[in-house]
Amino acid sequence: MTQNQDPIIDSDGSVLLTFPKGLLGFPELRGFRLLEPHDGYPLKFLQSVERDEVSFICIDPASVKPDYSVPLGEEESEALHLESPEEALVLTLVVIPENAKFMTTNLAGPLVINVRSKIGFQIVLSAEKYPLRFPIIPQD
Amino acid sequence: MLVITRKPEQSIIIGGEVEVIVLGITKDGVRLGIKAPRSVQVHRREVFEAIAAENRAAAEAKLPLQSVAAMLRAAQAKKRDDR
Repeated sequence: MTQNQDPIIDSDGSVLLTFPKGLLGFPELRGFRLLEPHDGYPLKFLQSVERDEVSFICIDPASVKPDYSVPLGEEESEALHLESPEEALVLTLVVIPENAKFMTTNLAGPLVINVRSKIGFQIVLSAEKYPLRFPIIPQD
Repeated sequence: MLVITRKPEQSIIIGGEVEVIVLGITKDGVRLGIKAPRSVQVHRREVFEAIAAENRAAAEAKLPLQSVAAMLRAAQAKKRDDR
């Protein structure tokens, strides 16, 4: 194993994140690498460390819904150890159907990551107020 | 699983700070009232299942990220041109 100066940033530029509770539907997966591929903005790639075949495309939700914000409960703020709002990175998962132009992102289950501690949680929001399938490409 | 019989207006208390009150029983269902500190999140089970289902669907995207990003850029460019 090569020794990096910062044990969290790998030589390939990815960041190792820990989701202590996993993601919903994947409770056993705790470690994920977050990659920001070149030419990928506003997308990022989340790769499970434990299971190679599990990966997600994530998006910066502000790029599809500029007024999107995540109300954090006390329990979550505490678990995330957020000292300031700038420490929080919010990502939502992208679902790509057969016809990719109808891709959506789930605004009811955002990932909130403390960029300092590299710990993240999937937050559950009211599905009545936050769409589970928000279209990424506006349909006209 | 603990099973308790409760009548309307009776309640149970969980962990000393969460109270679940039976407000009424009709043929369509049971109405529950929940008193909990702000730090305790209360959601219908269906919300968790729906998010888990979206997560599983998200894990199935096999399109390269760069292709998806290119589609987004094309859609944005089109939007600008339409103005």
